[in-house]
Amino acid sequence: MVLAERMRWIGRWGRWLLLATLLVYLFLPIVAVVLYAFSTKWTAHILPDAYTLKHWGSALSDVRLVDVALRTFVLAAGVTVLDVLLIVPAIYWQWTRNPKIRPHLELTAAIPFVLPYIVIAFGILSLSGQFIPTLQGTVWLLALGHVAIAFPFFYWAVDGAMAAANIPLLNEAAQTCGATPLKTLRQIVLPNVASGIATGSMLVFAVSFNEFALVQILVGARFETISLYSLDLLTGANADFNKLAIITCLTFVIVFFMSAASVYLNRGQTQTSRLVTGAKSTK
Amino acid sequence: MGSVSLRNVSKLYGTAVRALDDVSLDVMSGELVALLGSSGCGKTTLLRSVAGLERPTQGQILIDGRDVTAIPTRSRPIGMVFQSYALFPNMTVRQNIAFPLTTRQKAPRRLDQRVEELLDLVQLNEQGDRFPTQLSGGQQQRASLARALAASPEVLLLDEPLSALDALVRNQLREEIRRIQQTLKITTLFVTHDQSEAMAIADRVAVMSRGKIEQIASPLELYETPATRFSASFIGNRNALELPVQNGRVQLGRALDVAAPEADSTRAIVFFRPEDVEFSNNGIGHPATVESKIFQGSLTRLHLVIEADGHVGRFYADLPSRQAAEVDLGSHVRVYINATNARVFAADI
Repeated sequence: MVLAERMRWIGRWGRWLLLATLLVYLFLPIVAVVLYAFSTKWTAHILPDAYTLKHWGSALSDVRLVDVALRTFVLAAGVTVLDVLLIVPAIYWQWTRNPKIRPHLELTAAIPFVLPYIVIAFGILSLSGQFIPTLQGTVWLLALGHVAIAFPFFYWAVDGAMAAANIPLLNEAAQTCGATPLKTLRQIVLPNVASGIATGSMLVFAVSFNEFALVQILVGARFETISLYSLDLLTGANADFNKLAIITCLTFVIVFFMSAASVYLNRGQTQTSRLVTGAKSTK
Repeated sequence: MGSVSLRNVSKLYGTAVRALDDVSLDVMSGELVALLGSSGCGKTTLLRSVAGLERPTQGQILIDGRDVTAIPTRSRPIGMVFQSYALFPNMTVRQNIAFPLTTRQKAPRRLDQRVEELLDLVQLNEQGDRFPTQLSGGQQQRASLARALAASPEVLLLDEPLSALDALVRNQLREEIRRIQQTLKITTLFVTHDQSEAMAIADRVAVMSRGKIEQIASPLELYETPATRFSASFIGNRNALELPVQNGRVQLGRALDVAAPEADSTRAIVFFRPEDVEFSNNGIGHPATVESKIFQGSLTRLHLVIEADGHVGRFYADLPSRQAAEVDLGSHVRVYINATNARVFAADI
């Protein structure tokens, strides 16, 4: 009996210890970066020697940084919109009309994980050089490249949402109600996979916002993004690590708020699911 | 309300799977026909073909005399209820019911009035503003029924609407579906694998097997005189005894004696119901051994064995439980089978 109680006590505290270790492991780098962004000097001690807002003032008044951030934001937002417009109808089509294309889409979704981004970038460069050389060096080619490499993140999120919502059945039900495919997509499919679209969009945005290899190879300094600017800060003659820490914080905040927005926008669905009382599952 | 006619409809998946095999069927206006059969017999494919969710490989489908074979689902005058309800989770019950009306562009005032009528019809007035996940299975299926009826379709299609419900709700909803169907006099096709459900609800039952309609008849006719061996084995609790044919007769000692179905058949299957097994005290019939007894409330099922002319026949009989209490396990009784309602088919087909 005593042994059993002791084991329970160890189990309870063990779980807390494991959780605490995980949280420290995840948050320590973020805390360190935030502290560094506010530090005057951080050399000999576990915490910075002193704190200042000077770096933030200088970074936020840096026109180049603001331009870079806006440019990257617009690119990531554009890529997200393109992915939504291209992939949602494709997955809807796959689920309702042509399940045979599923293996092809899954294979396509595996490519960005299998091939390094550098290889993909040179592939795009070579292909565009052969067929549409006018696109080379433009932001359009970069956007298309980002659409392609972010495809799997969006595909898996939306595909999972369509499976969970049983879209083929809802689609058939809508047809028997006299709905056109467009009305079905707008009023039935999109609202029921909104959580998947929001999650996928957030992932696409994050991928495009932070991507480096394609930006470097496809457009280079002609379209400087946050990642290129960060590299410049790291390797340039006037390396500014505090500014780099500030950029990291800003990136984190942007992605964090997008995640929070995604959770907030999907709260209705979560609440509805939670209200289920005695409803029999049909899946 | 419209009649439904299928003319030589076949549906092939690839070249090997024939889900529907030259099916012809006429459902009269206002009639409820149940499509009954085991899994994979083609009943759902037939229903989906009428709905337009499956395109027949050949044949014609007519609703109210109009050929709808090539018409898309959304333009067919049908309403459909699915086994798993298929309510739109993002809409309330009221919005779900209104959806078919919005696709047909009804005026908003008329639309609201119609939704209220339907909520009234399926007795969901209190639940109109709830989301499907906040309803029980029975309530969801009622909402689904109301949505199917919203646009006043000519034909109502029900695809195993009661299968996902528990027994009590199933019986209640079955009666309610029948009540509504008779009130609206709407032509209805009802798919089920449950024979008691089909018998209880339908004007006629179409028994399906391997993509074909084996028999279509009223529930009583189907129960009393199944036309095919499959119908006989599928409908009602029947005993089936396979016996040799001798001199044009099929016999099991002195317990059974019926004419063979065809003169040249060598073996026959005799189907008879447990209530047609008679117990005798006056020496008529053949000795049988009581192998087991299963108490079923007012009736007790006795499993009996007869040995005659080198053949062993095993079958069961239902006796009132008070009478069955006097029969001991392993005891010998004399029985004979009242052949009037027995159905005999050649076994070598």
